[in-house]
Amino acid sequence: MDWIWSEFIGLMITILLFIYDLIGQNFGWAIIIFTVLVRLVTYPLTARQMKSSKAMQEFQNSKEWADIQKKYKNDKETLNRKQMELYQEKGINPLGSCLPLLVQFPVIIGLYRAIILTLAVTPIQLVNLSSHISNGTDLIPINNHFWWMVLSEPERYPIFGIGIPVLAILVVITSYIQTKMISPPQTAGDPGGQGAQMTQAMTLYMPFFMGYLAWSFASGLALYFIATNLATIIQYMLTGQANFKNILPSLPTRK
Amino acid sequence: MNKKTMKKYLFILLIVLFALTLGACTGRRVTATGWSGITIKEDIVYFSYGPQVYALDLNNGFQKWAYPEEAESGLDFYAAPVFADEDNQLILASYNSTIYSVDPDTGQKKWDFVIPNGDNEKSRFIASPLVTDQAIFAPSSDNNLYAIDFAGVPLWTFETGDPIWASPTWSEGCECIYLTSMDHFLYAVDPESGSLLWKSEDLGGPVVSQPAVSEDGLILVSTFANEIIALDEKSHQVEWRYHTSDWAWASPVIDGEQVYASDLSGTFYALDLNSGDPLWQIQPGGSIVSAVLVQDDLIYFGTHIEKNTSSLVVVSRDGVIQRNQPINGKLYTSPASDGDTILIAPAEAEFYLIALNQSGVQIWGFPPSDK
Repeated sequence: MDWIWSEFIGLMITILLFIYDLIGQNFGWAIIIFTVLVRLVTYPLTARQMKSSKAMQEFQNSKEWADIQKKYKNDKETLNRKQMELYQEKGINPLGSCLPLLVQFPVIIGLYRAIILTLAVTPIQLVNLSSHISNGTDLIPINNHFWWMVLSEPERYPIFGIGIPVLAILVVITSYIQTKMISPPQTAGDPGGQGAQMTQAMTLYMPFFMGYLAWSFASGLALYFIATNLATIIQYMLTGQANFKNILPSLPTRK
Repeated sequence: MNKKTMKKYLFILLIVLFALTLGACTGRRVTATGWSGITIKEDIVYFSYGPQVYALDLNNGFQKWAYPEEAESGLDFYAAPVFADEDNQLILASYNSTIYSVDPDTGQKKWDFVIPNGDNEKSRFIASPLVTDQAIFAPSSDNNLYAIDFAGVPLWTFETGDPIWASPTWSEGCECIYLTSMDHFLYAVDPESGSLLWKSEDLGGPVVSQPAVSEDGLILVSTFANEIIALDEKSHQVEWRYHTSDWAWASPVIDGEQVYASDLSGTFYALDLNSGDPLWQIQPGGSIVSAVLVQDDLIYFGTHIEKNTSSLVVVSRDGVIQRNQPINGKLYTSPASDGDTILIAPAEAEFYLIALNQSGVQIWGFPPSDK
C-alpha cells in the first residue's frame, strides 16, 4: 500500500514539475493547470455524480416517493425500509452521488503532499525530492512565490499591518457557491429526510471546513481549492446542471 | 442520542479525520526538516537538533545546558554551532532569520542578530556561519551572506542569485571567503568590504556543499549537475571535472593527495587531487549526503538506505570497507570525533546523538532512554 501511495505522489510531482518547467517556472500556475487537468481526468466520476444526483432528484419528486412519505410519516423505521426498497427497485444507489466525491479525497491529500514535497524549502525535503528530478537540476530551487504568496506557507495579505487571509476567504465563498450550485432543490416529498439533512450539513460546514484548511495550511493547497471550486462551477454550468436558484431564490424555477 | 444527531456528529467526525490526515502530511508533528550539526571542544559536544541546541559531556552524554531552555514553537536549529574566540562565544544559526551568540559554558544568550525585514519562511540560516578573527559570516536561504561583528552588529551584505545552503570557506591563499550558492556559481568575496573579488563560470547546477581549498590553491566543489569540479584560485579557471552518477551533495574532503566525494546514488569516490582521476570507488548501499570524517587511516561516513534505516560506513584509505554498521534514523550528518569517540547524529531517531567507540559499540545516546 505504501508503495502504491508513494508512486501516486511521485506521479503527481512529476506532472507538477513538467508543467512548472513548461510554463516558465511558475509554480502557482502549475498548480492551477494541474487542477484543471485533474478535473478533466476525473470528469467521468463527476459526470456519474451529476447523473446520480439528477436521477435521485427526479425520483424524489415522483408521486411514488411522495406517497410513501405521506403514508409512513409517523413511522420512520418503516419509511426508511420502504425507501431502501424503492431505491433497490429503481436501481438507484443513494450514495451514488457521494462516492465519486469521496474518491477525490486521496487526490486532495496526494496533491497537498506533492506540493509540499515539490516546494522543498528545507534540506530533508530536497533530499526527498531529488529522487523525482535526477535530471532536472535547472528546476532547483523551485520558485515558490506566486503574486503576493509564498506557496509553501499559509497566506496572509497585509492590509494596514493586519494579515488578511484572502485565499481562505475566497475558498469559503467559492466552496459555498459550489456546494449550493450543485445541490438539488429540496424536494417537497422529503423536506426533513436524510438527503436533505446531509445537504444542509454539507452546505453549512463544508465551506468553513475548507476555509479552515486554507487558513492553516500551505497556500498552494488553498490555490488548489479555489481552482477546483471554480472548475466545478464551470463544469456544472456548461452541462446545464447548475442550480442558480439555490443561490438566488428570486430566479424563476428551471423546467 | 437520536439518529439525526448521530449523523451530524458522524459527518463532523469525517471532516475532522480528513483534516487530521492532511495535518499529518505537513510536518506539524515533530519531524526533522534538516540534520544536526556537531561541534566538539575539549570534553564538551555542542549539537543542534530541531528546537534546541545542546551542550553535553562528551564522556557520558549528560546534558550541561540547552538553548533555549524550553523548546519554542517556530524556532529550529540544524547548523553546527561555531566557536568565536573573541569574547568566548558560541554562535548558533537558526531557521527563524536569527543568529544567536551564547556563552559556551552556561548557554546564556549574549546577543542576537535578526535579518532586517527577515521573513521566517525565506530567511533561514541552514548552514553554519564562518567565523574568522575578523567577523562572523552567515549564509542565508534569502540569497545573502551577512557579515556581523562580534557584538552582533551588521557590517555588510553580499547577495547571490539563489539561496545559500553551504557554509563559506576561508582561504589563506587569497585571504578571502569562498561562497557557493544554488545559483550555480562560486564567489570569492573580500571579507573587509563584502565586495566581489571574482566569480566562477556557471558550474552547471546548484551547489549546496561547502568548498574545500587545498594548500596548492585548488578549490573543490560538488554540484547537483552530477560533478565534482576543481578550480584554480589564481587563474579562476576549471582545472578538472569528474562526473558522478547522481547529485553530488556532500562537500568534497581533501586528504593529502586524495579527494573524497560522493553522490545521492550512494557511490563513494576517491579521486586524485591534482588530476581528478578516479583512484577507487565503492557503493556500500544507500544515498550519501554527508561529508566524511577522516581519522586514524579510516574514513567514516553515513548512508541513508530507506525510511528510517541508515548505515555508518568505515572504509580504509585504499577503499576496503571495514565496517557497515546499521543505524536507526536518517544519517545525513557528518560523523565527528575528538580523536577517540565517534559521534553520529541520526535524524528522526530515538537518539539524536550517539557516541560510539572505535569498534562501533555504543557508549551513550542522547536523550537518555528514560527521558
